[in-house]
Amino acid sequence: MTYFAAKNRINGSKTYVVGFVLGLLTLITLPIIVHFNDYILQVFTHALLLASLALAWNLLGVSGSISLGHAAFFGVGAYASALLSLEQGLSPWLTIPIAGLFATGLGLIIGLICLRLRGAYFALATLAFVEIPRVITDNWDALTKGSLGLVGISGLPTLRMGDWHVDFGSSITASYYLVFVYSFVLLGLVTFVFRSNMGLALQAIREEEIAAESVGIHVNRYRLLSLLMSAFFTGVSGACYAHLVRYIEPGLVYGLHFSAIPMIFAICGGRFTILGPAVAALVLYPVDQFIFHPLLPAGHEFLYGGVLILTVLFMPNGFWGKLRNAS
Amino acid sequence: MGLVGPNGAGKTTLFNLICGRYRPSSGNILFKDIDITDFKPHAICRLGISRTFQSSRPFPRMSTLQNVLVGHIFGKGFSLHTRPEDSDMARELLEIVGIDHKADTPAGQLTLSEQRRLDLARALATRPKLLLLDEVAAGFSPVLVKQAIELINRVRERGVSLLIIDHFLNLSLKVSDRLLALDHGEKIAEGPPHMVMRNRDVLQAYLGLRHQDEND
Repeated sequence: MTYFAAKNRINGSKTYVVGFVLGLLTLITLPIIVHFNDYILQVFTHALLLASLALAWNLLGVSGSISLGHAAFFGVGAYASALLSLEQGLSPWLTIPIAGLFATGLGLIIGLICLRLRGAYFALATLAFVEIPRVITDNWDALTKGSLGLVGISGLPTLRMGDWHVDFGSSITASYYLVFVYSFVLLGLVTFVFRSNMGLALQAIREEEIAAESVGIHVNRYRLLSLLMSAFFTGVSGACYAHLVRYIEPGLVYGLHFSAIPMIFAICGGRFTILGPAVAALVLYPVDQFIFHPLLPAGHEFLYGGVLILTVLFMPNGFWGKLRNAS
Repeated sequence: MGLVGPNGAGKTTLFNLICGRYRPSSGNILFKDIDITDFKPHAICRLGISRTFQSSRPFPRMSTLQNVLVGHIFGKGFSLHTRPEDSDMARELLEIVGIDHKADTPAGQLTLSEQRRLDLARALATRPKLLLLDEVAAGFSPVLVKQAIELINRVRERGVSLLIIDHFLNLSLKVSDRLLALDHGEKIAEGPPHMVMRNRDVLQAYLGLRHQDEND
């Protein structure tokens, strides 16, 4: 039941370590396993990107705040990076982190206004807040081309080291590896935060806020900090998405999809676990794309709703949380 | 020091004012010559005032040890990582309140009496100079009250000043040097316990002697 700080318990479980290493090896060798099948790799590239979104969402989720508005950070990140590279000709290596900073700026505004709210009130406020950047993007035709969206965004960048270089935009396999590395680095960072004393403070705030402030935790500072980190990485993921898909429009990147999906993965996987949200993304999204999408092209996303309801009813700690308790 | 008074006298409200949960509509709160009236709860804790709650408020999904660690780590500042000596310190406090055998149990699964002890250990972990105890012994059996008295005496030996709310007087009479009686938010008596308990206003507030007074 007690999750991150009980380090010995996590390391003590052999099955857990073996499972983690096996999963990692599978992801690394996936392109070979699937014989470089573009479609399968594309699905898994998106699954990894969604995993990064779920991990970023949970940086805030761990403090007990449920956000229904992460599409705001995602969309701002996507548009910032796309516009900076299209209009200013900057390299995506530069525009992607800058996009993260734009999203953090928006996070600061949302945080200062909404973080005084708790629970459902906070969730609803974030849901409403998505509309502000969406409407601005939709109507600022001169800058954003409005509802036409942006086309011809440069692909993922090239990494050069002397004569040696990899063009991450050149093939799906290369893109897959870049997104994999990004998600893995983010996982490491989330692990570090959750297991540090900052993670302890965020959990304490989630568990019992009044007691947390009474033992010296500056509640609002920690809540804001977790929102800013969450916004930054959601913005970076949004920027990666823009360069991966190379086409964005307001209705897409500010859509409910990108608000709901990270929340669904985090809750199904386990809000109180480090790995759960990422595992949920890597399992549910491929299941959705390979099995449900061909069966039900129009309503395949009912999978997410169904899984969410089942999780909340029968496994409130998520399936990863359940597995961890059982072992 | 014991803080006594009937239901609704304002004992817990006074605690909430001191700890910065509520802001007073008038007046100032001084602690060691510092005006803490406008301080936030976490800042007041860091100055050295800590409290327990009338109905204890553990962090239910965290282990008992982690509960105390939170107090130890944030009570006086911040460090990014928990050092081994922090855990040792927390374990020692669990030993003092007598629940060290439950260190790895989620705090939500402790009994009511254990949760109160945990509340106390967590408050002590912030290394307070002044500790406010809100109804530590309410609902306790006589045996548990006796244990609580021993525990409070042990805390006093550590050099912590105590302000204890006690509704039923079963504890404060035995451990207090001074008593302060409240009724309707106002101080009605202060002094050594036996004096306060003989004070006419206090008797009136507790037992409602007004009618009899009028007949005198």
